[in-house]
Amino acid sequence: MKFNLAFAIESLPLILSALWTTVWVTVASCAGAALLGFLLEIARRSSRAMSYVMRFVIDFIRSTPLLVQLYFLYFVLPFYGVTLPSFVVGIMGLSIYYSGYLAEVFKAGIDGIPVGQFEAAQSLGLKRLDVVVFVIAPQMLRNIAAPMGNYFVSILKATPYLAIIAVPEMLGEAMEIASDTFRYAEPMLTVGVVFLVLAVAVAQLVRLLEMRLLKSAKR
Amino acid sequence: MSFVDILIGIFDGFGVTASVTLWGMAYAVPFALVFGILQHFTTGPVRFAVTSIIEFWRSSPVIVLLFVFYYTLPTIGITLSGITVAAMALGLNIGGYGSQAVRAALQSLDPGQVEAGKALGLRRIQILMLIELPQAFKAMTPTFINQFIQLIKGTALVSLITLTDMTFRAKEISQLQYDPVGTYTALLVAYFIVCYPATIFGRWVEKRVAISERTQGEI
Repeated sequence: MKFNLAFAIESLPLILSALWTTVWVTVASCAGAALLGFLLEIARRSSRAMSYVMRFVIDFIRSTPLLVQLYFLYFVLPFYGVTLPSFVVGIMGLSIYYSGYLAEVFKAGIDGIPVGQFEAAQSLGLKRLDVVVFVIAPQMLRNIAAPMGNYFVSILKATPYLAIIAVPEMLGEAMEIASDTFRYAEPMLTVGVVFLVLAVAVAQLVRLLEMRLLKSAKR
Repeated sequence: MSFVDILIGIFDGFGVTASVTLWGMAYAVPFALVFGILQHFTTGPVRFAVTSIIEFWRSSPVIVLLFVFYYTLPTIGITLSGITVAAMALGLNIGGYGSQAVRAALQSLDPGQVEAGKALGLRRIQILMLIELPQAFKAMTPTFINQFIQLIKGTALVSLITLTDMTFRAKEISQLQYDPVGTYTALLVAYFIVCYPATIFGRWVEKRVAISERTQGEI
């Protein structure tokens, strides 16, 4: 079959109709991954025994492929009677996979805060939770903005994995066009171009935000 | 089928997983070195061209890259085996990330190193080969190991283009046995067995590099 450029352009509006799904799945997964990653890191710091357990959990998450984790959630949960919509499974999968990486980012962020800050907060009589929320988190966010932004871009680029578990995001839409028309090359190329443009644009945006943040941190 | 039987069945696909990984490295390492060095040395429009090529491989989602090349190349008359396409798409994606490690490592060297080389009358290529690269190699090794792990995990995608890797074997076993819990747990364990040693090794190397970096000033 010859490559048909007109058909590639024709498939663009249909693929773009799924852009919104890609966007909100990305945003939800970023939030889920950041929250879960932060919890993993806080748990790792809570006690000596937990530090070993959590370290293993984080290593396990990081040493297995995203695709396999998605299959696991998608096929194993229903076996135990938990049937969730596929986009929920997808967001869970992305959140879990990237929480392993974000936990390391949070670790570096917390380690970068001088010990004096913890001690000062303690001597002021702040509770443990208050120390985390009012003293550690604001300073940490500045330290971790750059690597966290990079992982958020990675999450955007990982959303097409969800097409495999039938989430109708952009690659899923392209695969549907392909199986309807038996033409695979054109919709795949179109979705590739869309993702490339989107990823480059978002990466630039993240870089801009990063520079803003660094400037405000210098004062 | 017991858990061990399933695990053995999954490892039938290890050969494909390993060969896609190794062929992928054969694309990734030269790409990373050549394009990282080119990006470091070029300026103006040439640098823009080099950066564009790197960004193409780095910013496209790897699953989309794989599908685009797998489905599009035959329509323009290029037929390659599944393993070749997979190794190329996965490898050059990883190579794109690796090139940034090479460039960053070269940029982080003390400019005095190059000046010293010039003062000794070495040619630019000799300075690169004999002075810059050996030192930069240390800084980029941890990133290369991490990217190697990413590549192993990325090979799970080849199951989608019908190569019989570990993930594909697990899907086959799951269809025959109807034991999704056992099969997908075994698959997670299988990847963990393959990737975890590399994770540990990478962490050890990272620590060594950090130590040698710290002690360098004292010598």
